[in-house]
Amino acid sequence: MNDEWEEVSKDMEVFTVTNKDTLINHNIRLLSTKEGYPRLFFADLETPVCADGECRLAKIKIYWNLLGNYVGYGIDPDEPLTKFEHDPFDKEDYAKLHALLLDDNSVLRNREMSELVDEVPVSISKADFGAVDGISSATKKEIKESVVQGGLYSCYTLWHLVHGEVKKNISAYLQSIYTDSLNNYLLYSDYEDYQYYGLKKLPKEAFEKHFEQVIRIFEKTQPLIRTYILKKIPNNILEDRNNTEQFYRLFSRTDINTKTQLVKKAGSAHLIALEILSGFSSEMTKNQLKLYLEIFNENPENLTPLIKSNLLEAARSEKYAYNYLIKEFLNNKE
Amino acid sequence: MKEHYIMNRTNNSMAFYKAKKVMLLAMSLIIFSQARAQQVLIEAESFIDKGGWVVDPQFVEQMGSPYLMAHGLGVPVKNASTEIQFKKKGTYHVWVRTKNWVPGDWEAPGRFRVMINGKELKTTLGTMPGWSWEYAGTTAVKSKKVEIELVDLTGFNGRCDAIYLSQSEEQPPNDIKELAVWRQTKLGETTAPEKEETYDLVITGGGLAGCAAAIAAAEQGLKVALIHDRPLLGGNASSEIRVHTLGIYGKFERILKMIDTEHYPNGSSEAKIDQEKRDRNVKSFKNISLFLNWRAYDAVAKDNLIQYVDARHTATGERIRFKAPRFVDSTGDGWIGFWAGAEFSYGRESVDTYGEAWDVWGELWSPEEADDFVMGSSVLWQTEVLKQPQIFPEVPWAREVAGDHSAIAGEWYWEFSRNDLHQIHDAEEIRDHMLRAIFGSFANAKKLEENKNHKLQWVSYLVGKRESRRLVGDHIFTFKDVQEYTKFPDSVVMEIREIDVHFQRNLRDASQPDFLSKAIFYKTDKYYIPYRSLYSKNINNLFMAGRNFSCSHIGLGGPRVMRTTGQMGAAVGFAAVLCKKYNVNPREIYTNHLKEYMELIESQQWPEN
Repeated sequence: MNDEWEEVSKDMEVFTVTNKDTLINHNIRLLSTKEGYPRLFFADLETPVCADGECRLAKIKIYWNLLGNYVGYGIDPDEPLTKFEHDPFDKEDYAKLHALLLDDNSVLRNREMSELVDEVPVSISKADFGAVDGISSATKKEIKESVVQGGLYSCYTLWHLVHGEVKKNISAYLQSIYTDSLNNYLLYSDYEDYQYYGLKKLPKEAFEKHFEQVIRIFEKTQPLIRTYILKKIPNNILEDRNNTEQFYRLFSRTDINTKTQLVKKAGSAHLIALEILSGFSSEMTKNQLKLYLEIFNENPENLTPLIKSNLLEAARSEKYAYNYLIKEFLNNKE
Repeated sequence: MKEHYIMNRTNNSMAFYKAKKVMLLAMSLIIFSQARAQQVLIEAESFIDKGGWVVDPQFVEQMGSPYLMAHGLGVPVKNASTEIQFKKKGTYHVWVRTKNWVPGDWEAPGRFRVMINGKELKTTLGTMPGWSWEYAGTTAVKSKKVEIELVDLTGFNGRCDAIYLSQSEEQPPNDIKELAVWRQTKLGETTAPEKEETYDLVITGGGLAGCAAAIAAAEQGLKVALIHDRPLLGGNASSEIRVHTLGIYGKFERILKMIDTEHYPNGSSEAKIDQEKRDRNVKSFKNISLFLNWRAYDAVAKDNLIQYVDARHTATGERIRFKAPRFVDSTGDGWIGFWAGAEFSYGRESVDTYGEAWDVWGELWSPEEADDFVMGSSVLWQTEVLKQPQIFPEVPWAREVAGDHSAIAGEWYWEFSRNDLHQIHDAEEIRDHMLRAIFGSFANAKKLEENKNHKLQWVSYLVGKRESRRLVGDHIFTFKDVQEYTKFPDSVVMEIREIDVHFQRNLRDASQPDFLSKAIFYKTDKYYIPYRSLYSKNINNLFMAGRNFSCSHIGLGGPRVMRTTGQMGAAVGFAAVLCKKYNVNPREIYTNHLKEYMELIESQQWPEN
């Protein structure tokens, strides 16, 4: 998160979650702007971390965004986190913990602590997971690489605190305070997960109103969200030349799966889509090209002189491996 | 020495030519005369000595034939050779059906040449994109007996489907449909195989599901044909692909222990031990007729009943028509059902189709709108460390895929799926993409000092699929059946393993290699699969077992592992026994004989002795 911290001036307890392992209750707080706009969720946690039969309290402040996605943590320098034999975490350990907590699909997700080690406490290097049945060597390696050396228990405990019940509760809480303006805030933010949430909640008929933002997101976002946009966008929006142009001009800069989606949609979009794509035909995979050319087999009237000329150029390109498919296509059209 | 004859049926001349030393009747090596010109078509897979080349029959439905491939892991393989008899001396044009499997701005990786009577034709082959006839030049045939060899130049998967020598300058057709007709004509094939065999049960596909079905049915006295397109049984669990078997045994521990694997790392050479066990056990059943290296190519239904399955030997081209009252489709890709007209599904259903939402993962789990982001296929591989430094060639043609990724071993997450590629129709491209990923990543690793003694020990050339066609049964198994732990009256398969659905890493982060995946796990207690998911809804004598059983994309996520698919096979095998006893079709076991069927299955969970 960028500057949300600076905006925050209100702090309100919103719900409590109970850690099923420790049975400790944790208060989850919502941080808002002075106008009352929600910005972050927060918890000041104390949870026992045990090693060598001795348990200490780990003190950590955890921050989640409005969707319940972990964004960061804070530690009092006088009360560092500890690992095996209660050695304090060093700088790299903290960075590794942050990376681990950012991974919502961590290898720790579906593991019980008892599956990971025979008995707690033990250091990773000592256990080396050698005697653990049912965990593949690839998984063992992944666990070892993702957690702090000697800090498996701390990492495990904190990951499950961060990604456990809290997330579900935040999600439910967000639903309870959901408004269109909150959705606009999310849709127009710079964060991918906020944008994605905003898009998911946005009714199809509202896409036109927010078209400029949708295109902005499309240009920069991850492939999963791009393909989501292309699936959801109503056909009538792509009947407009300007809208279509904005999407298809980005063809070259999008990922391969999005390119396939763009080609698939081109037949039902404004004709400009086919014209723009013809200029990019030598960037297509074999199947994308086949899909593209098939559009003209179904609707030969769409094969404009410009498209034909661009295809001819691609057919002549020595560097394009599938130029022979274009040659075959053009020969059949003559 | 036995003498075999190659039959020439062109122009109904029924002339016979003698071909000494041919160990198998090579229907696919045909010499024939047309008017004045002599022509010879040689199917590469029927070469007498394959040298270091391997027979690859995986993509017949797409490119037309099994082919020979020089899978040498970067070291040119030993020549393949064969001997043919020519009727007429003279100058012949030589065409070779092949492809450049990585077309681009580099030297083609799979280059090879043809050698005739010890003289290498100068044209390098394997250089044109897409399967086509490449012209190799002319050769002067001076003797009746001619030896033809394939000379691999790279060790990087050059491939040869067929060689055509003709005194005419007319090039064979490239169009796949025209080629099929041309081939049939040249080989003098009739529409139907001349050989016909009849069984109680014909099972196509010798993976864990097919093996278990064969054992279950054979134990109870059925006469079974098990058709499998590889020399080794086990499919993804075989020592050719090397995925270990996961899941529980359900009611079929005794049978499944004959064919499953230990929990060694995926790709481990320990797979060979279980391979021996599996082959030995299946072969020990006298009433299982095992057709190894036979690939089914058609199934025809009349009045919604399959009449026969046609299969072809992957090397000799010999054909057999298999007849039976009932059939099992354990091909994985649902080919038997597909050919016979069975309803099937492919891809990810929309979230509302079966109510399969899981909010935690949203679109990655089940999309709002159906799509083709299915789970991908894997190619496993292993390296070894030797005492001396090992050289690995430069592979510029792999860089586009591997990028800077560096690796010295593969695992399950080396997996490839893309929304413009179909896991069946584009399987060759998927396999080849994985080969580029492997060779490229290993080449990168070899640039590091720490890997100087590493050598590629084994790379599979068989694509290990997770998801393809799913044939539709009376019940479609979905996420809800897992969530609700539904106990069906016909629960014949059970599992406790989590639903495990994969997505490509580059969907969330475009900078990730496109050949690596992530798994999403949904933890579960024991859930059940009903018998009604194991027979076709509309083809009335067709069972299915294995990943092509009746399920949704998410429904497949759990039971796709091989002990579970083995359970399906065993369940189907026992159902076939009762079908024979009462002369009924699979559905009637559920409607009329369920009690007896469930008792038969229940009695399987304890060893007989």
